[in-house]
Amino acid sequence: MTYFKRFLIVFICGIVQIFYALYLLLNQFGFNLAWHIDNHIFMFIPGVLVFVGSGILTASYYLGDSKNNNILYDEYTALRYYKIAAAGYALNGIGIFMLFSIQDWANWSFQNANDMIYQLAAFAWLTFGALLTIFSIGDYKEYKNG
Amino acid sequence: MGKHHQNLLNNLEELRKRAGLTQQELSEAAEVSRKSINAIENGIYVPSTVLALKIAKTLKCEIKDIFKLP
Repeated sequence: MTYFKRFLIVFICGIVQIFYALYLLLNQFGFNLAWHIDNHIFMFIPGVLVFVGSGILTASYYLGDSKNNNILYDEYTALRYYKIAAAGYALNGIGIFMLFSIQDWANWSFQNANDMIYQLAAFAWLTFGALLTIFSIGDYKEYKNG
Repeated sequence: MGKHHQNLLNNLEELRKRAGLTQQELSEAAEVSRKSINAIENGIYVPSTVLALKIAKTLKCEIKDIFKLP
């Protein structure tokens, strides 16, 4: 594993998540998009990417060259990751509160509940997709210039 | 003391240069990334005890020579 490979893996996962999350959110909030993802199989793409990407990173952490890993996964990088994750939890907390607030509780139905679950999932997806992208860019820029 | 962190002052850059090491060489000896050494020198990051000990060992000095409370 190298900084560049890690950047590529995390950046691609993040960008794809942002794309799908935005698509889902725009659909959920009634924006009429000019095109649609017709085949539902495509909706598995971001999940598969994250699964494969995290698998590669985990394997490199446990099975990779230890000298290289001391550098790639050092405590400063861990701190950076914790900060990003903490921001993610905070943003998701605010987002979930807002999404709960805008629901039509007076006319509650299974359809509303279903929509809300999609909205919550898409928002969390969007938040962590954005944070993954920010993390990957910042991590690589620091490696090059920091 | 060189660059200042809110909780910790450090003298790392001066001691490293005195030891004739680059950031890259120090980071390899201390088994961390170069950006970690850079972040410590610039007062952005406070290292763990283990890392501080490794740095002190590499620079052949005491931790108190490198870091000081404000």
